[in-house]
Amino acid sequence: MNYKIYLALIFIFATAATFAQNSTLKGVVIDEKTKEPLAGAYVHFDDRKGGALTDAFGQYSISRIPSGNYEVEVKYVGYKEFKKQIELTENKVINLTITLEEKTESLQNVKVYGKAGVESEASSRRSEKNANNITNVISAQAMQRSPDINAANALQRVSAVTLQRNSGSDEAFAIIRGLEPRYNNTLINGVKVTSPDPASRFVSLSIVPSDLLDKIEVSKTLTPQMEGDAIGGTVNLVFKDAPEFEYFKANASAGYSTIFFNRKFDDFSHGAVQSKSVSERFGSDYKPGQGNFSRANLDFTQKNAPVTSLLGFTYGRRFLKNKLGFIISESYQNQYYGSNSEFNIAQLDTRPGKNYQPVISDVANRTYSTQQLNNGLSTHLDYRFNDKNKISLDNVFLYTQIAQSRLSIDTSILGGNGGRIGPGTGAVFNDNRSYIQNQFAENLKLSGKHVLSNHLLFDWAGVYSNSTQNAPDRADISLNHLINPDFTSTPDYLYNVSRIWQKSGNKDVSVLANVGYKSGLGKNNSIELKAGGLYRHSTRFNNQNEYTLKPTPNNLTGGKTVFTDIYAADWLVYNVTGTSTSDKANYTAYENITAGYGEFKLSLSKLDAVGGVRVEGTEQGYDTHPVILDVKSNAKKTYTDLLPSLQLKYKITEKSNIRASYFKSISRPALYELVPTPTFGQSTDITGNPEVKHTVADNYDIRYELFPKNEEQFFIGGFYKKITNPIEFALNSLIGGQASTSPQNFGTATVTGAEIVYSRFFGMLGVSGNYTYTYSNINTTKIFTSTDANNVSTSVPKLQSRPLQGQTGNVVNLSLLYKNDKKKAFLQLAYTYTSKTLALVYPNYGFDYYQQPQSFLSLSGEKQLDKHFVFTAKVNNLLNTPTTIKIGSLVQSREVYNLGFNLGFRYSL
Amino acid sequence: MKIRYIQTLISTFLIAFSISSCQKDEVTTFTKITIPSSGPISAGDISGFLKGTLLTGQTYTIIADITVKKGDTLAAQPGAIVIVKNNAQINIQGVLQLIGSKEQPVSFNSDTNKPGTWGGFQCDTAEAITIKWTHVDNTGGPDASGSARGTLKIKAAINVDIEDSWFTNGQDDLIRIEKGATITIVRNTISSSGSTDGEALNLKTGVKGIVAFNVIFGQAGSGIKLETSPTIPFPQTEVEVYNNTIVSNGWRRGSAEPGRAVSVGVNAIGHIYNNIIVNNYHGIELFSDGDLSKTTYGNNLFYSTVDTYTDLVDSTQKINIRENFYPASGVGVAQASDLISNKIGNYDPLFVNFDGKVATPNGFPNTYDFHLQNGSPAFGTGFTKYNLDLGAYTTDGKGNQH
Repeated sequence: MNYKIYLALIFIFATAATFAQNSTLKGVVIDEKTKEPLAGAYVHFDDRKGGALTDAFGQYSISRIPSGNYEVEVKYVGYKEFKKQIELTENKVINLTITLEEKTESLQNVKVYGKAGVESEASSRRSEKNANNITNVISAQAMQRSPDINAANALQRVSAVTLQRNSGSDEAFAIIRGLEPRYNNTLINGVKVTSPDPASRFVSLSIVPSDLLDKIEVSKTLTPQMEGDAIGGTVNLVFKDAPEFEYFKANASAGYSTIFFNRKFDDFSHGAVQSKSVSERFGSDYKPGQGNFSRANLDFTQKNAPVTSLLGFTYGRRFLKNKLGFIISESYQNQYYGSNSEFNIAQLDTRPGKNYQPVISDVANRTYSTQQLNNGLSTHLDYRFNDKNKISLDNVFLYTQIAQSRLSIDTSILGGNGGRIGPGTGAVFNDNRSYIQNQFAENLKLSGKHVLSNHLLFDWAGVYSNSTQNAPDRADISLNHLINPDFTSTPDYLYNVSRIWQKSGNKDVSVLANVGYKSGLGKNNSIELKAGGLYRHSTRFNNQNEYTLKPTPNNLTGGKTVFTDIYAADWLVYNVTGTSTSDKANYTAYENITAGYGEFKLSLSKLDAVGGVRVEGTEQGYDTHPVILDVKSNAKKTYTDLLPSLQLKYKITEKSNIRASYFKSISRPALYELVPTPTFGQSTDITGNPEVKHTVADNYDIRYELFPKNEEQFFIGGFYKKITNPIEFALNSLIGGQASTSPQNFGTATVTGAEIVYSRFFGMLGVSGNYTYTYSNINTTKIFTSTDANNVSTSVPKLQSRPLQGQTGNVVNLSLLYKNDKKKAFLQLAYTYTSKTLALVYPNYGFDYYQQPQSFLSLSGEKQLDKHFVFTAKVNNLLNTPTTIKIGSLVQSREVYNLGFNLGFRYSL
Repeated sequence: MKIRYIQTLISTFLIAFSISSCQKDEVTTFTKITIPSSGPISAGDISGFLKGTLLTGQTYTIIADITVKKGDTLAAQPGAIVIVKNNAQINIQGVLQLIGSKEQPVSFNSDTNKPGTWGGFQCDTAEAITIKWTHVDNTGGPDASGSARGTLKIKAAINVDIEDSWFTNGQDDLIRIEKGATITIVRNTISSSGSTDGEALNLKTGVKGIVAFNVIFGQAGSGIKLETSPTIPFPQTEVEVYNNTIVSNGWRRGSAEPGRAVSVGVNAIGHIYNNIIVNNYHGIELFSDGDLSKTTYGNNLFYSTVDTYTDLVDSTQKINIRENFYPASGVGVAQASDLISNKIGNYDPLFVNFDGKVATPNGFPNTYDFHLQNGSPAFGTGFTKYNLDLGAYTTDGKGNQH
């Protein structure tokens, strides 16, 4: 995408905000009781356009107002509306401190709207306090001020949330309460999103720029109205909603990853990547030659890493006497980052006396250089027919392109085929890869809310969600040479080249509707009854077309030729037809969900009870397109779950609650995991399993909440989950020394944990922290090798007890905040600690891949320069923390990212 | 008011109760697939699902992939001739039983008679494999997934019996057996296979049995390679490798991955005796991760027809074959019982017809005769547990019949 368009757009909006008046009204908006400044409050005059929004320090200023009498109005969510008559005379500056009084929730009527600037930190605390269930909310303001530029990083600050990342990629999926991504779901504006990933259900949160978000809600318990397939929790990305007032914000910043202070950025020709495979270009009967495959994308060149640039703007207002509202939000992020890693392969040491412990067999040094371009556009339109009827149209479009070079040098250090006799000798493979991946995610939602009578609310939504991933021409080249025992080296030989065109897609159509009835029960009590349903039809496909290029044998000798450079390499196309018609990774699948629920909410003066039951019917199926017909090439699964829940909130005082809840929820296997086509490995084959059952969990929670002041809170809680049929990849069989793994169910796992959240301000200094402890346990089959008294050695399956995959024991988030309301400065130092985490299951008994404890430190700050401009700075990974994975005491991988920083400005109207 | 509240609660629970009766158990159903029944095999074009017997003297043309289902048997009588078109392969999920005779071998070849032009026998889930007196030529065309196709691939703990047969001009691994099969691979001639990579006999993950009296000539990679799974140490791969004549292998893959006559690695056990090893890039290479405590070897004859040989790929490298009989990169050492040539003419095995060729291309016609002339040092120097003589052709007549 072109920068210039963005700059031009920003310029147009910026110049539009010009006035030609003369008086000024300014001041601060504060909470009546706590005297806390309130950010994001809208100060305006009743009959005139062009109010002002209070900044992060509660300050506002409206200038160039013609003299006259005005009624000043302030709307702020959770507070009573403020109105005051003032008189402005020419060329005067009037200082007005506005105090707002907190309003107690109105229980008597269903309201259609009434939202204002819900962006502020204070209002997210209020959402947590008033929510029906156990939630954590991160506001736009908190994200703006934190060091995080995407939803993934921001989410890391929520208690009991950690991120699962893959080596060399920025992909990030939420682990909630120690439960891996499969047990959680991600929503956009409350509705399930499709995943562009061919093998999973989830969407990488790193592709969602935090600029576009109004807030992120993490629900750790479910009410009947919520979709039931979340055991750990639900992450709801709420995109910006049309404001009550004209709103414009823009930001621009630039950054750099300091890993490129020490090395260059490895680049390749993006233009050489052919978007279509040979069979797509020339038809399936065409027999390609070596000329049909480009070479420049395997020619890796070094350059200085370009600067990371982030741009974004949001504009919104209401028209037609406030009936029509819209907001548009655009974010463009062009990031350059990299990592250096060591990646080792371990195998069992079978040498005498070594007791079959894992030992490193191969060492690879890898460098990744990645350009990630995120482009997000969120638009919202709503029309209020009247106070009782509103329809909204929301569209979220996310585009991500990742262009990555991976250079790897792999040395075999055990015998193998290498012929290594000591350090510095043996076989060396250079394995280099260029990769471009385009992901599109589109989510279109049309929804309406209608107050049918004072007691009756009807709301509905239709959602179309479509995600695709297109990764054309993933090119891999491997070269090999041998360092002889006398340290002489052979030349490089071309070993193998593979080219893969991959495409996958996931499309959902959902419709849902709810009817609510609410009525008062006496003066302070109320009851709300809700019923509704959902239907979703989801389809998914994956296509893969792989070409293998092999070295051309020499005409005379029949042998290989020496590799000098990529342009001179001589290869032949080994499989001229490609694999598109028969690749085992190709499949189509579908899923239909039919759900209905009944929910009640009883609000008594001291007690809220929300409960009811949800029924979810699932129909899933797949079709592979096998070369050899197989009885399992096509299957259908059906199941129905009954999911009761009950949440109690006892209001001890105005400022404290105690909550207890029970809910039942499920997790469905990814469609790919049902597809039984095997992927053959060296000694391990992975096969999907159509017999795998979906997971069902009973979840119990208790939490005490205290809200002493705005922006201050204290929570303490515990949870217990009994998970039936958890799905983990594990050993299937062990026949004649070949292992086979597949997703399987393992009886019952238990997860127990505790959480503490605390934040408080001491004058200008604040502290905010949370701590989570999680324990889980499951038994799975491993390979156990031993020698008995008669000196007979065997490898047999044996059950081993271990935590669930991806589960972290201790997670600590701690932030120190400095907020100077007068100088309009804000500084945040954020610390994150995660203890040892089971990253992957090792096939042998007694060992697993554990990610080692990590401490991250990041710093961010902002300083308001004038009425419109704020200077922003973000520095990540101050401690230069590596990601290290060990098997026992062996380092299996170690990846270093280095510090990264961003500096820039934010402009607001 | 209170009554209304109670009524509401009751109705809510009634709704909840009625919904709860919808609970159903999980049901998995597979769509039924109609598998066509196969008729008797009469001469002519064949494809699809097949069982029955290929008859003596008949010629069959395979025009598309053949699959022998679990429980079915595909048998061949002596003299059956099969021609394969369209790069087709034969999938064996059941039993394969090709029984030729010395006078009337069974034959499988492609219509073009060029190396790498059909798909061979893919027997990952087979129930039993028996191949006797059968020609299998010109296999190794790529499969639909782009992977190299071995001539005969087996991944099952079954009995594999391959005797007196000929395998020529494959493209990658020729015979690759995994997952604990019990093997008897005797008196076969394997020639000129592997384009620029691939072993003649690649035996992995718990395979047990014998490899004896075979002639292995002109393979791109190694003649015989033994490995166990790196994650599952037991059962170990354990093979007796004796009385094979292993000539001119391991050159086409280049010096970065020299091919070996016999290699033992990754916790495998070899018992290597009485082999004649001539003109291979490397002779016997025992890698340090093999099970060296149980591996035994000796009474092998090593010979080179040249003092040095220029590496096929990198002409700056002059390879001294004699130094690589037990290469420095391995941990095997010369045994007192070995016959190790120290110059041209010393311990020359005296083949009946061999011009001393070192490296040959894939598809090179092997017209040599590796019988031994009178006076060969290979006579009477064997480890008698296996045979009095060395090599595939022994005076007791128990050796190779080709």
